Amino acid sequence: MTDTQSSRLAAETATGGSIVDVSFTVNGSATSVTVEARRTLSDVIREDCELTGTHLGCEHGVCGACTVLVDGQPSRSCLMLAAQAEGRDITTIEGLAGPDGELHPVQQAMMDAHGFQCAFCSPGFLMSTVALLDENPDPTSEEIREELSGNLCRCTGYQSIVDGVERAVKIMKGGSK
Amino acid sequence: MSANTSGLVGQSVKRVEDDRLLVGNGRYVADVNPPGVLHAVFLRSPLAHATITSIDATAARRAPGVVAIFTGSDMEAITHPFPPFAMQPDLYTPLYYCLSSTTVRMVGDPVALVLAESRHLAEDALELIEVDYEPLDTVASIAEGLSPTKPQLWEKANGNVLYDHVHTFAPGNESVDAVFAGADRVITERLSCPRQSNQPMETRGSVVEVDPDTGHMTIHNATQSSHMLRWIGAALTGKQSTREAAKGIIANKERRKAFLAGAKSFLKENAEGLKAQDNDGMKSQLKADKSFLKHANLIGVGLLGKDDYPDVVAQDIGGGFGAKGSIAREDVALIAAAGELGRSVKWIEDRVENLMDGGQAREEDLTLSIAVDDDGTFRGLKVDLVIDQGAYPGFPVGAPLASAIMKVMFPGSYNWDAFEMRSRIVATNKGKYVAYRGPWANETWARERMVDIVARALKMSPAEIRLKNLIGDDQMPTAMITGPKIDETMSTKKTLERALELLDIDQFERDRDTALAENHYLGLGIASYHEAAPGPPGYWECVNPGTETLLNEEAQATVETDGSVVVYTSQMPHGQSHETTYGQIVADELGVAIEDVKLVFGDTRRTPFSILGTGGSRGGPIGGGAMKYASRAVREQLVDAASKLLEADVADIEIVNGNVHVAGVPARGVTFAELIAQTAGDGFEATRSYRGKGDGGWSVATHACIVDVDLDTGKVTFPRYLVVEDCGPIINPAIVDGQVRGGVAQGIGAVLYERATYDDDANLQSATYMDYLIPTSMEIPEIEVHHMETLSPGGENDFRGVGEGGMIGAPAAITNAIEDALSPFGARITSQYLPPTKILELAGVISPD
Amino acid sequence: MKAPPFIYHRPETLDDALALLAEHGDEAKVLAGGQSLIPLMALRMGRPAHVVDLGAIDGLAEITEADGAVSLGPLVRHEQANRSDVIAQHAPLVAQTMPHVAHRAIRTQGTVLGSIAHGDPAAEMPAVVIATGATLTATSSSGERTIAAAEFFEGYLDTALRSDEILTDVTFPAWPSTAVSSVVEVARRHGDYALVGVVTTLDITDDIVTDAALAYFGAASTAIRVSAAEQSLIGSSPSREAFDAAATIVAAELAPPADIHGSTAYRKHLAGVLTTRGLTAAVDSIGVPA
Ligand SMILES: Cc1cc2nc3c(=O)[nH]c(=O)nc-3n(C[C@H](O)[C@H](O)[C@H](O)COP(=O)(O)OP(=O)(O)OC[C@H]3O[C@@H](n4cnc5c(N)ncnc54)[C@H](O)[C@@H]3O)c2cc1C
Ligand code: FES
Ligand code: FES
Repeated sequence: MTDTQSSRLAAETATGGSIVDVSFTVNGSATSVTVEARRTLSDVIREDCELTGTHLGCEHGVCGACTVLVDGQPSRSCLMLAAQAEGRDITTIEGLAGPDGELHPVQQAMMDAHGFQCAFCSPGFLMSTVALLDENPDPTSEEIREELSGNLCRCTGYQSIVDGVERAVKIMKGGSK
Repeated sequence: MSANTSGLVGQSVKRVEDDRLLVGNGRYVADVNPPGVLHAVFLRSPLAHATITSIDATAARRAPGVVAIFTGSDMEAITHPFPPFAMQPDLYTPLYYCLSSTTVRMVGDPVALVLAESRHLAEDALELIEVDYEPLDTVASIAEGLSPTKPQLWEKANGNVLYDHVHTFAPGNESVDAVFAGADRVITERLSCPRQSNQPMETRGSVVEVDPDTGHMTIHNATQSSHMLRWIGAALTGKQSTREAAKGIIANKERRKAFLAGAKSFLKENAEGLKAQDNDGMKSQLKADKSFLKHANLIGVGLLGKDDYPDVVAQDIGGGFGAKGSIAREDVALIAAAGELGRSVKWIEDRVENLMDGGQAREEDLTLSIAVDDDGTFRGLKVDLVIDQGAYPGFPVGAPLASAIMKVMFPGSYNWDAFEMRSRIVATNKGKYVAYRGPWANETWARERMVDIVARALKMSPAEIRLKNLIGDDQMPTAMITGPKIDETMSTKKTLERALELLDIDQFERDRDTALAENHYLGLGIASYHEAAPGPPGYWECVNPGTETLLNEEAQATVETDGSVVVYTSQMPHGQSHETTYGQIVADELGVAIEDVKLVFGDTRRTPFSILGTGGSRGGPIGGGAMKYASRAVREQLVDAASKLLEADVADIEIVNGNVHVAGVPARGVTFAELIAQTAGDGFEATRSYRGKGDGGWSVATHACIVDVDLDTGKVTFPRYLVVEDCGPIINPAIVDGQVRGGVAQGIGAVLYERATYDDDANLQSATYMDYLIPTSMEIPEIEVHHMETLSPGGENDFRGVGEGGMIGAPAAITNAIEDALSPFGARITSQYLPPTKILELAGVISPD
Repeated sequence: MKAPPFIYHRPETLDDALALLAEHGDEAKVLAGGQSLIPLMALRMGRPAHVVDLGAIDGLAEITEADGAVSLGPLVRHEQANRSDVIAQHAPLVAQTMPHVAHRAIRTQGTVLGSIAHGDPAAEMPAVVIATGATLTATSSSGERTIAAAEFFEGYLDTALRSDEILTDVTFPAWPSTAVSSVVEVARRHGDYALVGVVTTLDITDDIVTDAALAYFGAASTAIRVSAAEQSLIGSSPSREAFDAAATIVAAELAPPADIHGSTAYRKHLAGVLTTRGLTAAVDSIGVPA
């Protein structure tokens, strides 16, 4: 622990709030952290695990930028305490590409389709799309729009993102991954 | 010269940015964490208008993890107030500090800054600061801003009207009033646009990194303009007494020389502009408030006395739409605090703060009168505009600039004999008004709304009246009544004609009848406009004399000794995909693959100077042009060197795929690195400055949409939305489509979902995303984008901006369509915001509460 | 936007959880899915000193059926209910409701009982509870009590639960084979809390309505039934006229509060419109021509 970290922990202890030990898996790696109980899963993913690909757009559950997979299910990491993730299996955007850097078909498809602009919203859309296609490999465009309506994008007007999902369906059907 | 390109410009090349962004490797400001960084939170006023009678941070200072707390008076001791920037005749710009110390003027007004070891701990301490407020009566609306009985927000202003000016344009023999008197009729309507907010998905944020050894600051910031932040940040912080400053100036001879040389050349280059600003604008400001002079002197002396200036590094940015073009009060407070503490500090705005203080826009009342002859010929236009600036003026630009642009653009693409506009700006107790994608957009909304109203009165169709009055090719070249030149590239009329071809009116009429059975009413709306993207030469002189010189963009292209191509821009991408579009331009010029081009941006240590950064639709036309000419110059250097090395004529040298060779003999070629090695050079470099083409500069479009209004629920959907746009030759069609669609989505949001809502006492009602409603994929329809690519006779580098137009046209087309849908009820739409309640009220289904 | 500090408890048995509530009373909050509690804390509008997380207690995510009645435990997530065959078969109204609740990434964590315990008047589940006459079981360290649906919702975000109690069970009575139902709502955006919505159930025998429930959400300070409208339907045969008559009664009886998303007049009107739509959708599901 660096000096800054230990002085922070001392201050956090002085607030009277709980400090908790939490263990979970992130993108396949077992992870243990000691953090304030009030820290959300998103706080811990971004700050303790240093996985900054998960973004915070609102911290009250509406924008969807923080969406990660918890045991394969899309979940708002800003609306879950890190402590609630005890023993769970977390996947973030950093966990999508293969170990050799090969893009996940959804990433490839979004690139092909010019899915995003500023891409601040992209982690949430990518994780929601992965969850959708995992369960429904051939959604209609109405189903895609409905499923993605839990994620806000301010730049694109959504059409390019919907196109990207449709392209991902094609790639995945082609059996490339 | 045979420019030998790899043909990337014009193709939907995949985005270079996506290599990092789509795998989670983007680096946004929230991702920057220098060692030992302190986390900042601002205490914000819960009241819209109040006097601070006391502020006590004793308990908060003792809270766990707190390192420092600054109140308003602490900040007044070490910073300068924001000075007026673009002065205009009859405008008063109040001066204000980064934190408020005696009066709060809006909900969310920052009054203290807490620095602690985590954001959580800082928020805890915030609650322990005790502030006593004495509430004041509030100014909550434009009407209250105009009212003489309401309290004044700014002591030195004359009431709450901070600007009141009339501009008149009557180039013929007749005065405006004579034109109006001579017309068959005059139709008048008062329109109003409620408050909106830019709302990029990434909030604002800044990390001021302090080097523990040297004290040098590096500011990581989500800013649209890193150079401006650098200089304004330096100017407003580190306040010194004149004596200290003088000591610094004497001690630092080298810096003084460099600074003075820089300032001299800036003054020389911009002499005209500065002179224009000086005169009447300065007089108006000084008449109200002389303190600006004192502060300006101190700022100047302080800057000279500094022995180090911060650098700014902006990396990936999660959208801005104008909101990140302002220098924030928070930015200044953070730089000052970091300087005092000698420690790195970090502030990431949360969404509630962003909804309060991250920038709001568009709240305007517009009364329009159109003088028209019975055959539908437009004669004259009068506009009375009032902008609700909110509590604090945006810095550097905000309401005054919006009004100045509107004054030029209001006549649109139509012929008029006379035009007059009165503009007023009022101060109210609301969030600050900033530029929002097409900051002048309400001229298009109000005018196109009014054109429909006139058409209805004359029993003409909206298309017919537009076609009759739009400036046609047969009149080109000509000029807008407000001054700017127009040539054939301003093809508004053609986009309308094309849109009318694309619409199947007969089918629409049939659908309209069928829908009635379900209590659904269909309507068709169109809107046509041109926008300065960035405008022809002289345009900015019409807007605000003295600003044209600021448009300049500089680009630098280099080939380094290892053969790599690195290019530098002062543009600041935040979603517009500059790395891709500039990559395409450079790759074509230099005959290399796009993957081999690296774009450097956002870093004041490396990029050329520009005060504006990204904004004003300059990225493609001006920034792209500069990039093109810089890389072309490097290409000439490469070809020149190769011709000597290969003993061939310059005209015979080709570059294909990074291989420089004699035409047709690729085997006899060299790579860039080999060329540099063999000619014992140290790389190639060229910098080019560009102010845009000698003509054109307009992007134009027609939006046409069909709305479906459910009169059971008041909900509006879009069976069809199409845009015919002309931004000249397209660099990357997929990127252009994305810009247009994104803008239309914001326009749909503006009309149907989004409103920065304040109650009668100026309390913010929309402080979360449960209440400020950004439309989702279920609300935004598919949007057809049809391109026309009118080339100017001048030929090359004809790119025109396309980032703003989507948002400019959409509110007009949508509100026109809704009025058409509700025409059986005689509904007249005068507000831009039409939530379900309002729709049913307009149709007479329900009455207002 | 970070929650204030609190003492975090992660009991492994229900008894331990109840003991903690008994000890800390008003100072404590139960944490189920967290989809309402955590944002409130992040906004510092909720600041419990103790948070009792039910997440580590086994056996709370059961969905069971006995004699046609379906019971849900406190950790049954909305999305789990959405996919449950038992619910689809025996509690079709609950199944119809789930897709209306927020978005999937919220439903995967949010719990059905959490929705009920939270008592948001704009939420769907409280209306389902009162429409079906479900039975609620509240457990404290001193024992269990059952609360009838009609007694449970007391006011805005206020229920009959005491601070030392956990809502441990909701049981929906056996679904009559003669019953039809629907959930219809209008929200500003897809997935938002409704401006107004209605849960409709009709019992139809030989083309005559023998029982009816019309439960509104977003229309008052709690979920609310409009018995006059229900009564008007009973004994008649389902028809457009009967539905419109019920709608007129509803629009006259309800006076929903206004907010920035809709006026009182608008919501009143919408309640009427949705009454007709809900009744029509309910009978559509069995093909009875309206
Ligand atoms: C963006 C967004 C949109 C939403 N939209 C909707 C919507 O459209 N419709 C809708 O119905 N909901 C909506 N919700 C709320 C969501 O459904 C919540 O999950 C639900 O209301 C509460 O369930 P929970 O398990 O998350 O409860 P928690 O957040 O864990 O708890 C909520 C409250 O209930 C108490 N509580 C929870 N469980 C129990 C129990 N078993 N016994 C006693 N007390 C208990 C807690 O102490 C707390 O006070 C939305 C939420 C978000 C963030
Ligand atoms: S940050 Fe989690 S939903 Fe917005
Ligand atoms: S791409 Fe910018 S928010 Fe979605």
